Amino acid sequence: MEFLMIVIILALVVIIGVWLYIARQGDADFEFIVGQRTDFILEDLTDKTATFSCKVPFINKGSQGGTIMDAYPRHLLPHEQFDGVDVSSRMELSTAPRTDNYFESVIIPQGTGGTVIITVTFTAKAGGIREALGQMAELTVDMAIDIVYQIVARSLWYIHKARMVMTCDEIMRAMQAKGTAESEES
Amino acid sequence: MSEIELIPVGTRILTDKDNIVDIIVKYAEQNAGPNDVVTVAESVVAITQGRLTRPEDLKVSFLARILCRFIPQEGSLSSCYGMQSAMDAEGQLRILFALLLGMVAKLFGKNGVFYQLAGEQAPLVDDVTGTMPPFDKCLVYGPFDPNGVAAEIKRRLGCYGAAVADVNDLKRAAVLGVSAGLDAQKLAHILIDNPFGNASQRTPIVIIKNYAQEEKRATGQA
Repeated sequence: MEFLMIVIILALVVIIGVWLYIARQGDADFEFIVGQRTDFILEDLTDKTATFSCKVPFINKGSQGGTIMDAYPRHLLPHEQFDGVDVSSRMELSTAPRTDNYFESVIIPQGTGGTVIITVTFTAKAGGIREALGQMAELTVDMAIDIVYQIVARSLWYIHKARMVMTCDEIMRAMQAKGTAESEES
Repeated sequence: MSEIELIPVGTRILTDKDNIVDIIVKYAEQNAGPNDVVTVAESVVAITQGRLTRPEDLKVSFLARILCRFIPQEGSLSSCYGMQSAMDAEGQLRILFALLLGMVAKLFGKNGVFYQLAGEQAPLVDDVTGTMPPFDKCLVYGPFDPNGVAAEIKRRLGCYGAAVADVNDLKRAAVLGVSAGLDAQKLAHILIDNPFGNASQRTPIVIIKNYAQEEKRATGQA
């Protein structure tokens, strides 16, 4: 009986020890800091399309390294809200630019981070893009964009979302800034 | 007098639809002669053999979630998916006892015991990010029958020899399989600077030119 008690106590000590070790070790903890993103700027403008981009920092604020296995922007502009444009969006690491909307898995050590570039292209469904975006601004339509990211680290993989909003005012400011810059150049 | 020369050979992205020996014949045949050794990266061999899985497809055991915590985070088995892959390949009990004995050995100042005891697949598992897109989101196991693959490459190419190698930028090189008569350690030494390059260079084949002459010279037969 005494031997059994010793075994049980030893087992409990081991379990508590392992639990404490894991709790102290912690895990990766990622955050896309949408509050610190840059304003969208107009990258390209044609009669039918307007392309904007912004930069969003992220950090692994956990105690372990972790991997961003996948990440992509999910723009949300339902036709019930505004039906004048088609939207496409993509995301890439600023340190590994690519245009195929493929996010190559990347290991982020604890306490470090990086920056992603989000690119959004509006294509007018009818007429010109300037008019379409003008209507969007008249209707005060803001577009939410979720940054969807899949993390794998010590624990089971998970998917999180961080929401940012691309406002119509911001779109208009970017269009005007580009127009001002072009008129100054000419 | 000819000296050893390392020639990386580029390929397209290879998948499990490819036969690695056919691919090597296609891309390396014109450069590989009877005095040369043709080497191929082990992860690419494994991919063509379909030896890969997605983390999402693995059922992770409670034991894998605990044991991965005792692997330094730089190791592929430090994630529960890497650990589960090793367990699936080598058995749960084997990994458990290897880890326990490895811990005890570490207390006495001996490192590396875990990987010595955990089976040949354990150190070969590549966690996600370990290979280039589109396989960067997969875990890749070690190749099946690397000696057989090397022998078949030699037979098809008519070269001096062939090998399947695991080399990285951290000056670690291991030759997993060789055709008959080749010295795996000598080949590992030749490949230590990772002539395969990093994954994005798409050069999974390296031809070691003039290996036969160099070997004859070393053994005094030249």
